[in-house]
Amino acid sequence: MAEQGQTTLLLGAATLAAMLLAGDGAVAQKRGGSLVYANVSAVGTLDPQAAAAVVDLEAIHHIFEGLVEMGEDYGAKPMLASKVDISPDGRVFTFTLRKGVKFHNGKEMTVADVIASFERYKKVSPNAPALADVAAMEAPDPHTFVIKLNKPNSLFVEVMKTPTYSFAIIPAELKDQPGRELEPVGTGPFQVQEWRKDSHLILKRFDGYVADETAKGADGYAGKKTVYLDTIRYNSVPEANTRLAALQTGGADFIATIPGDLAKRLQGRSDIKVMSVIPFCQATFITHAKNPPMSTNRSLRQAIATLVDADEMMTAAGQVWERNPSLMFKPSYYFSEIGASWYDRHSVDKAKALLKQGGYAGEKVVLETNANYAYMRDSSQVLVEQMKAAGINIELKMVDWTTNQADLSKGTGGWNMTITGLCSGPLLGPQQWRLSLAFAQNADDPVVTEGYAKMFATTDPAERKKIWQGIEKYFIEEGYMMKVADIADLRGMNDKFVGIKPYYMQRFWDVWAK
Amino acid sequence: MKLRVLRRLVLRLGQAVPILLVVAVVTFFLMHLLPGDPAAIIAGPEAGAEAIEKIRHQLGLDRSLPEQLALWLFHLAQGDFGRSIVLNQSVLEALSERLPVTVSLTVVSFAITIPLGIVAGVLAARFRNTWLDSAVMFLALVGVSIPGFWVAILSVILFSVTLGWLPASGYAPLADGVRPWLLSLLQPAAMLALFQIGFLARMARSATLDVLDQDYIRTARAKGVSEWRTIAKHAFRNTLIPVVTATGIILSLLMGGSVVIEQVFALPGVGRLIVQAILTRDYPLVQGTLLVLAFMFVGINLLVDVIYTWVDPRVRYG
Repeated sequence: MAEQGQTTLLLGAATLAAMLLAGDGAVAQKRGGSLVYANVSAVGTLDPQAAAAVVDLEAIHHIFEGLVEMGEDYGAKPMLASKVDISPDGRVFTFTLRKGVKFHNGKEMTVADVIASFERYKKVSPNAPALADVAAMEAPDPHTFVIKLNKPNSLFVEVMKTPTYSFAIIPAELKDQPGRELEPVGTGPFQVQEWRKDSHLILKRFDGYVADETAKGADGYAGKKTVYLDTIRYNSVPEANTRLAALQTGGADFIATIPGDLAKRLQGRSDIKVMSVIPFCQATFITHAKNPPMSTNRSLRQAIATLVDADEMMTAAGQVWERNPSLMFKPSYYFSEIGASWYDRHSVDKAKALLKQGGYAGEKVVLETNANYAYMRDSSQVLVEQMKAAGINIELKMVDWTTNQADLSKGTGGWNMTITGLCSGPLLGPQQWRLSLAFAQNADDPVVTEGYAKMFATTDPAERKKIWQGIEKYFIEEGYMMKVADIADLRGMNDKFVGIKPYYMQRFWDVWAK
Repeated sequence: MKLRVLRRLVLRLGQAVPILLVVAVVTFFLMHLLPGDPAAIIAGPEAGAEAIEKIRHQLGLDRSLPEQLALWLFHLAQGDFGRSIVLNQSVLEALSERLPVTVSLTVVSFAITIPLGIVAGVLAARFRNTWLDSAVMFLALVGVSIPGFWVAILSVILFSVTLGWLPASGYAPLADGVRPWLLSLLQPAAMLALFQIGFLARMARSATLDVLDQDYIRTARAKGVSEWRTIAKHAFRNTLIPVVTATGIILSLLMGGSVVIEQVFALPGVGRLIVQAILTRDYPLVQGTLLVLAFMFVGINLLVDVIYTWVDPRVRYG
């Protein structure tokens, strides 16, 4: 029965693959063509180890590659390594490097480059604490890299797949270049042709690219990447209306982030498609765990969590969204319904009861938000009205995104709660979530520190999931994270190219011109 | 006479030094008063407080404000405008790359504004209290009242998307040829000119009306000189003094207006540079750019002074 079920599933997958191939295969794959991508801002840095903005990372991952990368399912997949062996105690990781891989400068990649890359990472990356437990890095031969940890970390390979602050491999001779000033020489399928900061970046096909022939095809940021396009031009077009006009007039072939209301303008254009990437981020309210009155009044936090109305908030923002009670996206192994009882309660009466229970005496609550992101602004405004209806003394503090982000990262600005879009954590797993959990300013909470220590120590995936669920439950039940919804990113493209698929960060290998 | 003008120029340039110093200090404090932290932007949304603090230290942002100001002024005195925090590029290099775009936009916009504004104003004055006067003044009022940002978006929808006459965004450098350069600038320049045409038309109308009421105009008419010759030969030059003042202001406003227009039309000029620099709290870039712009405004005022001496001999010999 199980066998039959499996066969059916395989047939289904084969049929689907055939359908996809028929769609793509209608136009023969050929080299050539230049794609123009209008993005929301300019590429600011091409240093993979220091970059965190999606706009930068999309270009970076065409130029650089790591030992492992995230696959189509966002799990860790080998890229410059052909395999990874993990010792039973989770302390020693042995990477066998692929042979014959070339940098854009023509040099072959060896373990010396890998060690130099990790050394530089420790110096320049804001994510350097991820390597704090590294005891030694060794090179037993030119194509083997061994990394030894002080403490077990069964998720270390998962940590290394991060596209943000990527563990990309650079030529050893560049190891002393300062952060954000790295010469963009990698092993990726594209190389830099022209870069005018604050304006545009042109990448050209790297004809010396050595693809991973052992893989069946492209797999997320890993697998066998085949490059057909001659060039990709990344243009900076911050104004959404102008990006849309560029797509409509042929000034751009692909555009990023279309607001929901503007997407309607593309209806009736058979040559233009809107691609919805969902889940993309999570809209989540965050509580400051150190600022009273919310830090000292659990019932107040829970009362506010009880007011969150996902439908009302997302409708106000004109956002494409999905319901999801979890801090993880649905495809994730770590997804669960553990927070379901606290999700989308939208009850003023229950909130009032909780306020009474907690002895709330009208202390002021500051909600900081920004005007740059409609879903953050509008969700906050809806919550403010609901808080007023429940009798909470609320002050809405509207700032720009730059201020909001700095206040969120540093816990400054006197906010009690704020809202943000959490993207990579829910997509990539608990190891990535750790960075975002710190926004609640309680990263030193024993539930977090001890939970993560246990999670890293265990090699049993089921046990890890259980530990994560404990952390997730704590953050939701205690009202430190108030999940609103999974939200989409809408992207637009014309019909001149084949092979463009939705993914968290856009890729243009295995894409060809008609 | 030439020596006198030269002396006047040198004096004005000397007066610019304290002005620029005040601009420098005010800009410095205004930028640092803004909440937000460039180190947090550089580190990224997932960076911890420790990583942000490390970057603040590298950038010297952990020093006291007076110390940072003194250091910046010290480097300025040596001609060093600093280095952009976000672009990792010297401020002067960043500016020199973007200035041709903004200058091109300003020049084309200026070339649209001046003839249209003056002709509309003179016509309105000549046909005072007629339908033409009302129409010109109504359009001028519309021009100065509607938000440039909104009109620019409507213009893109009409001229780029619907009619397909002009590109929706982007800049073609002059090196690519005059035609693509002009095509890429025509729409943004026209949108930028819209406000200024209205302003100049109202100014030119008022100045022409004043002159047309003068005795020497009445005398010219009494002598039988044709109406257009009276306006062209006797009235026009005398209307130029307030109009030249207005064009100086317009030139400055066009450069200022480029901030919005460059953003809408995705032109990689100084206006967009400064918006991005403010959004990312790139202190050296904002400070350096504003200082250079202030210097340019001083230069424009100086140019207006020189033109005065050409237009009105009373200024030259006064």
